Amino acid sequence: MENITLFINGKSVSCPRGSSLLEAAELNGIKIPRLCYHSELKPLGACRLCLVEDEKTGRILASCVMPAAPNMAILTDTPRINRHRRNIVRLMMAEHPESCIVCNKGNRCQLRQIAAQLGLGQTGLYPMPNYKPLEQANPFIIRDLSKCVLCGKCIRADHELVLAGAIDYNFRGFKSRPLTLHDLPLEQSNCTFCGTCVSICPTGALAPKNTAHAGTPEREAPSVCGFCGVGCSLSMGVIGEQVVEINPSDSKDSVNGATLCVRGHFAHDFLNAGQRLTQPMIRREDKLMQASWDEALDHAATRLMEIKKTFGPQSIGFLGSSKCSNEENYLFQKIARTVFETNNVDNGGYLSGRSGLGPIDSKTGGGWRVSPLANLEKAESIIVIGADPGHTTPVVDYYIRRAAKKGVPLIIVDPRKTDLTPFSTVWLRIQPERDVKLINCLAALLWKRFGHDSIFIDRFTEGFASYSEGLSSFNRERLCVEAGVDMSALERTTDLLKGKRIAFVVGHGILQQRNAVRAMEAIFNLMLMTGSLGSDAGGLYALARENNQAGAWDMGSAPDVLPGRQHLDDSRQRQRFERAWNTRLSPDQGLNTIRMIMEAEKGNLKALYIMGENPLRSLPQHERVLKALENLELLVVQDILETETSTMADVVLPGAGFCEKSGSYTNMEGRIQCVDPVVSPPLGARADWEILNILSERLGLPSRYNTIGKIRAEIVQHVPGYAGLDHGKNTVWISNNSQRRLFNREGQGEPIAFSPVVFAEDSPQNEDYPFTAIVGSKRYHLGSGTRTSHSRRIRNLGKNGHAEISPADGLELNLADGDKVRIHSQCGSIVREIMLEKGLEKGLVYLPAGFNGNDVMKLIPLTPFEDRHSTGLKTCRIRLEKLQSVT
Amino acid sequence: MTPKDIDWTRLSAIIDKHKAERWSLIPLLQEIQEAFGFIPPESIEIIADALKIFPVEIQGVITFYAGFSLLPKGKYVLKVCRGTACHVKGGRSILRLIKTQLGLEEGETGKDYQFTLETTACLGACALAPTMMVNRTYFGKLSPPKVTAVLAHHSKDKE
Repeated sequence: MENITLFINGKSVSCPRGSSLLEAAELNGIKIPRLCYHSELKPLGACRLCLVEDEKTGRILASCVMPAAPNMAILTDTPRINRHRRNIVRLMMAEHPESCIVCNKGNRCQLRQIAAQLGLGQTGLYPMPNYKPLEQANPFIIRDLSKCVLCGKCIRADHELVLAGAIDYNFRGFKSRPLTLHDLPLEQSNCTFCGTCVSICPTGALAPKNTAHAGTPEREAPSVCGFCGVGCSLSMGVIGEQVVEINPSDSKDSVNGATLCVRGHFAHDFLNAGQRLTQPMIRREDKLMQASWDEALDHAATRLMEIKKTFGPQSIGFLGSSKCSNEENYLFQKIARTVFETNNVDNGGYLSGRSGLGPIDSKTGGGWRVSPLANLEKAESIIVIGADPGHTTPVVDYYIRRAAKKGVPLIIVDPRKTDLTPFSTVWLRIQPERDVKLINCLAALLWKRFGHDSIFIDRFTEGFASYSEGLSSFNRERLCVEAGVDMSALERTTDLLKGKRIAFVVGHGILQQRNAVRAMEAIFNLMLMTGSLGSDAGGLYALARENNQAGAWDMGSAPDVLPGRQHLDDSRQRQRFERAWNTRLSPDQGLNTIRMIMEAEKGNLKALYIMGENPLRSLPQHERVLKALENLELLVVQDILETETSTMADVVLPGAGFCEKSGSYTNMEGRIQCVDPVVSPPLGARADWEILNILSERLGLPSRYNTIGKIRAEIVQHVPGYAGLDHGKNTVWISNNSQRRLFNREGQGEPIAFSPVVFAEDSPQNEDYPFTAIVGSKRYHLGSGTRTSHSRRIRNLGKNGHAEISPADGLELNLADGDKVRIHSQCGSIVREIMLEKGLEKGLVYLPAGFNGNDVMKLIPLTPFEDRHSTGLKTCRIRLEKLQSVT
Repeated sequence: MTPKDIDWTRLSAIIDKHKAERWSLIPLLQEIQEAFGFIPPESIEIIADALKIFPVEIQGVITFYAGFSLLPKGKYVLKVCRGTACHVKGGRSILRLIKTQLGLEEGETGKDYQFTLETTACLGACALAPTMMVNRTYFGKLSPPKVTAVLAHHSKDKE
């Protein structure tokens, strides 16, 4: 961008054209006091503290809203300006309550800082504090509007960054305050408790609740959020060895900018939970007894080796974690594959729909992987399919909302009204799991109306002829009806999409459903046809539930792939790793998470080593999982919290939380972020990679990793795409090694193939179970909720998860809000309270997961995903039985 | 008009009329205010849905302007002038008299929704001081008998 030159305080400086005077000064190291300016928000000019003087005309200007012009001469620090500034601050102080001593903002209060800079002690004015009732009923945010200075940052953060629409300026003059609709408390408003406003508030008007400490943390350290796959940059406030506060980091190129979500901001108090594991334990006479690290590791190593010797390598399973770092997952699978010669290694990512993405990964050679979320705002159109990112990955939701507000056409495919539907251009209200039909219909309609990108198709793909033949072979109208969508809505969608590239945001409605693979193939075909792949204006954004879901897969913590997602049946790759690890690798796929449990049930699997997973909560049919685990000869659990699973273990090894150890995590965009420990693990616990390292030594693995750097170096050497990891940078991106022409700079390589048009069978109707339950997430719990249920704040919210039904069904079954029902499926039953939800259609029931020990999983049969008879984890058939209330 | 009988058909007709216009919020609110005497709080979300803006932004606009009210007002809204000229000419006694006669304080509406009493900084008709307005009609050179007559003329019994 073109630069202009101007004079600030007599010094010649330059700045890009279009900068404000404040930005120009900032760029050149000149600090101007301000309260209402924030680099990510549109300037407002509300606080008037950034006043500067025009040297030529003597005019006083608000520098945050005044554009810099060539040859302008401004003064930022004259007696006249300072007199104005002092008066403004004096008036603010006169209206401010004198509660600094108990204020959570402590020394970080910007009003206090500016008053100090201006040398203001006593104001000399009659104090007129504007007392407002303190709001602190919700467990997350304390609102004390008497401390509000009306900078409007919270309002602008709400309207420009997260677009929740919870608050706005109300009234005017003295009465002016940011209020919710109908002035209701936050928990009854649109507020999602993302806490963005809390971090951005310059005073103590908005503060986090339930902190162990009030005031300024001793130190702040950067980290990366340990919850969902977005991987937000955090700044963690620490006192001693306790994390007491979380804010978004102020790093410029983070994925989240100034935003966070309720989990990232407020649920990290699980780190300080009393249920943290702090001592290794060994089961003796059916009781878990404390043991030393040596005893516990010796015991685990000896028993594992015995079992291998007696029952063979296939009798041991390794369940790793999509929450642990790349280094830990690499080491974990290496131990499994080299010491125990088994491919029975998996992680929780399997449950979040890894199988649906596998074929796409193979087709593109991994080329689709790097998809920066920032591109969503540059997309030509967006289709959000089977996703409710406002609850699962809120930062993705903010990106989509901002794009929609800018005018990017937004198409939502979902059976339910989600938080995003009010922002949509078209909402295709599909029947559950009929996505394959709908996508194929949409593709056929686009093809008929010449909405395809023939240049892209010719250059980068193959097999379009047979695909397009497939598209004209079915009756669109009939399929459309079967999918439950109006033909006119689909035609409108086609008109919107014609000639545009599409960004697909794919959620667990696709990735966890019974037709996941077929639905993904249909989506991918549509992407190829519209030239949406490999472009900033389109792309594939597969929501990742956990922070290192992508990385754990990359590290080969899966039964079918080696590190770098290299397939086991690729003999060249297998040999490469055999040489590197000096071992023999079996070409046969190992057991995935669910098959491990099923084999344990049958008695074929004898030992299970679990690192950071809680299958007794996350897997379907808890009672079957329980029996399977009881069947085992040995269960080793390495975890940070006492979980349903850890209480059953024979050996318990206390690990460290994400901010208590070094490691790198790969987010859903393909961004690899390295973190250093912010605090130490609780006394007695150890970083997971250290535990694995000591264990591997005891198991006789030759190489010794006494630093994380050594594991990282091996990853850099062996895992394609991770070469950038050793450059000492905190953030690197996966490098693209795809051999496909589309991703090759020189335009060399193979084309990408279309998949044939296939349809999936609809799930059979069952008269006994007339309702379809959709299992989904609420923002307060991540996945099965092991960690979030240990957060005191989330517990204090007191939500138990409802059974949401349509008002029409409520009327028919005589069910009202708060009525208790027993929900039966073919494999179990649970009890929930009814909530009538206008956004649901008749016949659908929405069951949020993660609540009450993740009870919804009791309704779903334990079958492997890829099984043709699997119901997936997304839906099941149920019936409702009203329970009489005991009064 | 009592708050109970909100004519939702009429309300949605007003919304439909304006929703395609640019910058339609204020004209739309003005028309609702005019038609109903207030803006029913329940209507905010309906308007927001039609205009694709946040409900809370609409509430912000409503509470900013004195011309909009979220509370139902009386059939007759009295605006008594508190400007300097009216003050000098005895406006304060006029206001006190009205308060006693209606049994209302400033900003209040009678239980029968007949009168709402408001004051204003200046009506701009200083030559006629002391003045007030009843809905859109000016009444100037007020005296206690004239006030009593005006109030009686608008009272329920008279209708």
